[in-house]
Amino acid sequence: MTSTAVRSPQRLPIDRPAPVTGSGIALRGVSKEYPLKRKTSLRALDGLDLEVAPGEFVALLGPSGCGKSTVLRLVAGLEEASAGAVDVEGRPPAQLAREHRLGVAFQEHALLPWASIRSNVALPFQVAGRPVDDRRVDDLLRLVGLGGFENARPKQLSGGMRQRAAIARALALDPDVLLLDEPFGALDAVTRRRMNAELARIWSEQQITTLLVTHDVDEAVLLADRIVVMTGRPGRVRYTCTVDIPRPRGADVTRTPEFHGLVDTLTAMLDSADETA
Amino acid sequence: MTAARSVLTGLLHYWPLALIVVLWDLWVVVNGYTETVAPRPWAVFADVGANVGEYVPDLAYTLVMSLAGLGLGTLAALIAGIGVWRSAAISGVVTPAALVLRSVPVTAMIPVIARLLGYNDSTVLAITAIICFFPVFVFTVSGLASASQSGRDLFAVLGASTATTLRRLHLLTAVPSIMVAIRITAPTAVLAAMLAEFLIGAHGLGHLFSTARSYMEMDRAWGTAVVATALSVLTFVGARALERAVVARVT
Repeated sequence: MTSTAVRSPQRLPIDRPAPVTGSGIALRGVSKEYPLKRKTSLRALDGLDLEVAPGEFVALLGPSGCGKSTVLRLVAGLEEASAGAVDVEGRPPAQLAREHRLGVAFQEHALLPWASIRSNVALPFQVAGRPVDDRRVDDLLRLVGLGGFENARPKQLSGGMRQRAAIARALALDPDVLLLDEPFGALDAVTRRRMNAELARIWSEQQITTLLVTHDVDEAVLLADRIVVMTGRPGRVRYTCTVDIPRPRGADVTRTPEFHGLVDTLTAMLDSADETA
Repeated sequence: MTAARSVLTGLLHYWPLALIVVLWDLWVVVNGYTETVAPRPWAVFADVGANVGEYVPDLAYTLVMSLAGLGLGTLAALIAGIGVWRSAAISGVVTPAALVLRSVPVTAMIPVIARLLGYNDSTVLAITAIICFFPVFVFTVSGLASASQSGRDLFAVLGASTATTLRRLHLLTAVPSIMVAIRITAPTAVLAAMLAEFLIGAHGLGHLFSTARSYMEMDRAWGTAVVATALSVLTFVGARALERAVVARVT
């Protein structure tokens, strides 16, 4: 790793060229409009360009309501772009879901209330019509710190534990692409920090192409290789920067001036993005 | 001590029953009705108590018909509900048919169905099933549609087929609604079975009532009504207990 821990931006905004890739996630000139009543429509995204290289962890930062989650839903194949192209590995995003190679953790954990934690994590196997790999499920539960809670039902767990179960479920089939939509949004600061550390550890073990949507600057800096800041609605890319802090980024990293410098810059960017909204 | 207390509290919940019995007796006494017009409750209870063997076969028959009709109606409603959920075309056919079925008074339907199926058990069963169909159908349709957006998104990103999503998400989401439908329909099933028995049957409480009335055995007729009421209340209580157990399992 280089000694320059953070490439702090001098001129704003700078659009760094995205890494050249043949696969990964690519959004080109993507716009999304939601029809409202009487021929009016809400433009959530406007000409957005975004690329995530294979094995890269990109965090998408933006003020609330800027269309971050819309980007994620487009990449997950849950919605269609009004204009522009969304490709995952050079193909329509829904294809990846159909091949059971997509892992998604939503803002809401979406655990099935009638199933045990173990069954919830095993759900992707069953949906894909594959035999449940019990060892894999056990490993994942241990990985997210839920060993011993296999037979609990979601309602018996705390919010943080449910989110961790949802992340274990997202990882169950060894996805090629992982999408995280503020998976820790509902958690308190301490739990959130702990979850960030766990996610970083999980990700360092198997570098999955990951797109994380968040409004938490610390979280983005701790986890991502690259951070993309969006403007307020309609969402566009306002700024992109690479995080050069060496991994693993432990608690000590959060006390370094590099970390704070980057967090401050990005926070300022979010503030001004809010004003344009 | 506490057990006795909870039993007592439980009994207190049924004070309306005691009130009905007292009002019934007062009504007979105050109006000076003879036994042929309306017997006093004590005479009725005495008849039931002394002739349990006379009541039990018909009670069992009505219970079996009610439960089987409820089961059949529920099954048909589930199938129709899934069809409506799955396809707008099926919905366009089934929903108006269900509404028409609902609008025709059951007493008008009974002679027609008896013509078709014969004056026998299958008509009683069919009537009960038809009466039970509509509420379960409505609750199934709304229950299937009530799956959360996040749940649907989850199954979409997992690449689930429609059948898998139905089985693993929508049907289980609909279970509480379906259980509510069964609870409110269970007493109606008893009513429907008895009505069919009364009009065409050869067995059951409805038939027992109609026979007793023709022979002017008023104690027996009223006894049948009391037994039927008890059966109706019991099916409701049973369905409620089932609902609570099942809903606790799926939520």
